[in-house]
Amino acid sequence: MLTTPERIAFLLLALASLLLTLRGVRLIVRAIGRGYGRPSWGVFLRRVIPVSLDILLQRPIFRTRPLVSLLHAGVFFAFVFYGLVNVLDLLEGFNGYSTLHASGVASAYNLVADLLSVAALLGMLGLLLRRFGLRPFRFNRAVFLLPSVRFGISRDSAIVGGFILLHVGSRWAGQAVRIAESGRPDWSQPTASLLARLLGGLDAATLAVASHATWWLALGLILVFLPYFPYSKHIHLFMAPLNLILREEKPLGRLEPPVGNGQLGSARLEELRWYQILDAYACIMCNRCQDVCPAHGTGRALSPAALEINKRYYLNRNLNRFAGGTTSPPLLETATSRAAVWSCTTCGACVRICPVGNRPMLDLIDLRRSLVFAGDELDPNLQAALESLSRYGNSFGKPARQRARWARDLPFPVKDARKEPVEYLWFVGDFASFDPRMQENTKTVAQLFHQAGVDFGILYEDEWNSGNDVRRVGEEGLFELLAEHNLAVLGKARFRAIVTTDPHSYNALRNEYSALGLDVPVYHYTEVLAELLERGQLRPSKRLQAVATYHDPCYLGRYNRITAAPRRVIRALGLELREMPRHGENTYCCGAGGGQIWMDSGGQERPSEQRIREAIALGEDVRFFVVACPKDMAMYSDAVKTTGYEQRLTVIDVARLVAWATGLIELEREAAPVSE
Amino acid sequence: MTLAVILKQVPDVVEELAIDPSGTDLDRDSVSYVVNEFDEHALEEALLLREATGEDVVVVGVDTTGELDQALYTALAKGAQRAVKLVGDVEGSWLSTRALAGLLAPVIRELSPRLVLTGVQAPDDLDGQLAPTLGALLDWPHTGVVVGTELADGLVRVRKELWGGIMLDLELATPAVLGIQAARATPRYVPVGRVRQAMRESTIEEVEVETPVESAPKLSRLRAPEAAGRAEMLTGSPSDVVERILEILRARGLY
Repeated sequence: MLTTPERIAFLLLALASLLLTLRGVRLIVRAIGRGYGRPSWGVFLRRVIPVSLDILLQRPIFRTRPLVSLLHAGVFFAFVFYGLVNVLDLLEGFNGYSTLHASGVASAYNLVADLLSVAALLGMLGLLLRRFGLRPFRFNRAVFLLPSVRFGISRDSAIVGGFILLHVGSRWAGQAVRIAESGRPDWSQPTASLLARLLGGLDAATLAVASHATWWLALGLILVFLPYFPYSKHIHLFMAPLNLILREEKPLGRLEPPVGNGQLGSARLEELRWYQILDAYACIMCNRCQDVCPAHGTGRALSPAALEINKRYYLNRNLNRFAGGTTSPPLLETATSRAAVWSCTTCGACVRICPVGNRPMLDLIDLRRSLVFAGDELDPNLQAALESLSRYGNSFGKPARQRARWARDLPFPVKDARKEPVEYLWFVGDFASFDPRMQENTKTVAQLFHQAGVDFGILYEDEWNSGNDVRRVGEEGLFELLAEHNLAVLGKARFRAIVTTDPHSYNALRNEYSALGLDVPVYHYTEVLAELLERGQLRPSKRLQAVATYHDPCYLGRYNRITAAPRRVIRALGLELREMPRHGENTYCCGAGGGQIWMDSGGQERPSEQRIREAIALGEDVRFFVVACPKDMAMYSDAVKTTGYEQRLTVIDVARLVAWATGLIELEREAAPVSE
Repeated sequence: MTLAVILKQVPDVVEELAIDPSGTDLDRDSVSYVVNEFDEHALEEALLLREATGEDVVVVGVDTTGELDQALYTALAKGAQRAVKLVGDVEGSWLSTRALAGLLAPVIRELSPRLVLTGVQAPDDLDGQLAPTLGALLDWPHTGVVVGTELADGLVRVRKELWGGIMLDLELATPAVLGIQAARATPRYVPVGRVRQAMRESTIEEVEVETPVESAPKLSRLRAPEAAGRAEMLTGSPSDVVERILEILRARGLY
């Protein structure tokens, strides 16, 4: 029980604290409200229950780092339960209500509170030891950080960690003091009772003072901490669930048009969408996104974490002005750098891994949009590719009429889907059509379809680049141009479904074009091949006995979750599949996406080379590095040479393996370790 | 004051060119047009000058292809202020450089620019006659093979490329006509969205012209390039190679 002056002091402190906090929260709401668009409450209602369950089960957190996630879970569950604990403790302070030595439900409550207090203390200690002892949070030298960030992250982590330790620790110790005062252990609070035995020697007066002190340290501390709360990363407590709940249920592979008449893009904080500003408040600075980022992993200037953290620290320092409507400086001066913006491969790994539902990749794409539209100087190769795309519909600088030249070498004619109805309209893609190294694969796929009796056709010179990567380098107008052309041509053709070779085209057709009115099933060729094998339309005459690993293309595995079909094909051929640590939706980018294939990478080691080493580490007996994307074929054929593993590992398209197994083609060197 | 840039469309040689059955023209239905590459550099150089001095850039062209609008809107999207298109019965014809200069000269005189910039040459003007002819018709100083410009009071400083990497710095009194070999920077990229914006928001001024009657050489026949003979690499010791060369020369009656 508190004394009357204590009660008055607490109430006054609470009033002041709440007013200050409210002011901070209102500023944040106004800051987020400066962004484009508004949250949909329909989405909130639909998602609040399932997403809350996900969060209660800590599923977004346990996607990676299991041990750290366990420590977090301790703190998390304690905090959820402490909502109740704090209310009851408040009651105890004001009218003496106590669950000490109680039985029934109250004793169960005591036990849970007791155990969770220890879980939170251990969890927090573990997290603090990791952060300050192991120092796992480092950024590449080239990463742009606001001056306030470098020291700020440590300071804020220390304050939040210290608060949790002190708050939970005082409550726990306070229970021990009250148990000691009562003179006998409370079996529903085993750990506090243990601590109470250590306090047994203290006299009643000391214990009484300690009882008051611990109460104030547990609950009074909240009031002191509260006004700081909106400026601390602890606010992720509310912002992360909000971020996760309010996220529209649309595929990651479907971008929204740029803000500002669908053209301008976002150069400043207030030109982002509301949820991109919310991202900065949801971020807990765990750097998981940075760990999976292929750009950061190869020493480049990009860290998705640094982007969110910079945004947050800029907002913290300028919240009054920003919330008041002042124009903020360009994001390229406060959040990230040009070099970082242009090193993103749009692989989506940061988005997938983020435990609080942030999408830093979208900021980078919106920044590119603003740079492109403002006429900022482009990488010369990228410029040449865009000019070629707008002129010829492909990035190779080749006339459109040469697109289907590969088909001339086939022993059968390929149907013209513009002129006659077909079951499958094959959208071949630029690389598969024009790159001389890929054309063999393309012919193989055509022969397999033909062998299996698939009724298919192509659009010849009327197929243009799908624009997937064009949209992701920020050239929205060119994307529209390409999409309008392809949609017009597709609209005139008669077919049941589209099949694509290129996962990037797959993503554009399935996710982007569907938003523009295309409503047909889209398949990746691995899905079609798997089905043809399983239905017996393709009959392997040989079994391939070798160990293979498979690389999931980002736009297939992560973006569109097509991970089973290519594996079904590989297994159907008799190959033993050995997975790389990063596979399926957690795949690692080859480094070509998001237009990187047209840019000078400038990184140290390329992601594709790291990936080859990952495959090599699977064992001496891994013979095939199987790919299902023409760009992967290009990237990894190079990487296996530059890493010097060309003799050990064969990079091969899954279709080539099928064709070999069905006797359609002969493999030369590749066939060596395979027996029938 | 203004800077006038002359834009000309030429057949895109990336595409396969076909000869019309008449034998004296390209098959115009299959030809697609691009802006002469050197003219792109002339425009870029003008835009760079504009950024330094604030001059207005006016792009001018004779519409012989019926598709000049695209090129003019692109130039407006890149940052030109005005676009002037010369139209009339010239559409569908190939103009000689002299005829082109004759059509442009009065229009340009009326614009009274500080500078006229054009590409140093074009696929149909390999001798680079446009800048000198225009200069002569306007009676303004002119020079070609320009790789850099700088505007000063009443004159333009020009860097011109000679042979063997030798550069010549010149000063010309303005107005002057320059044939641009290369702009100081790569011609800029213009996003498609900006071109579409220009098409919605800008207008192209039109001037009626008539094809001049002139005495010019008459084209009698166009031919596709003949496939060149295959090269044969001679290997072996020097004396073997010499023997082989003599043999080849003898076989052709040259030795």
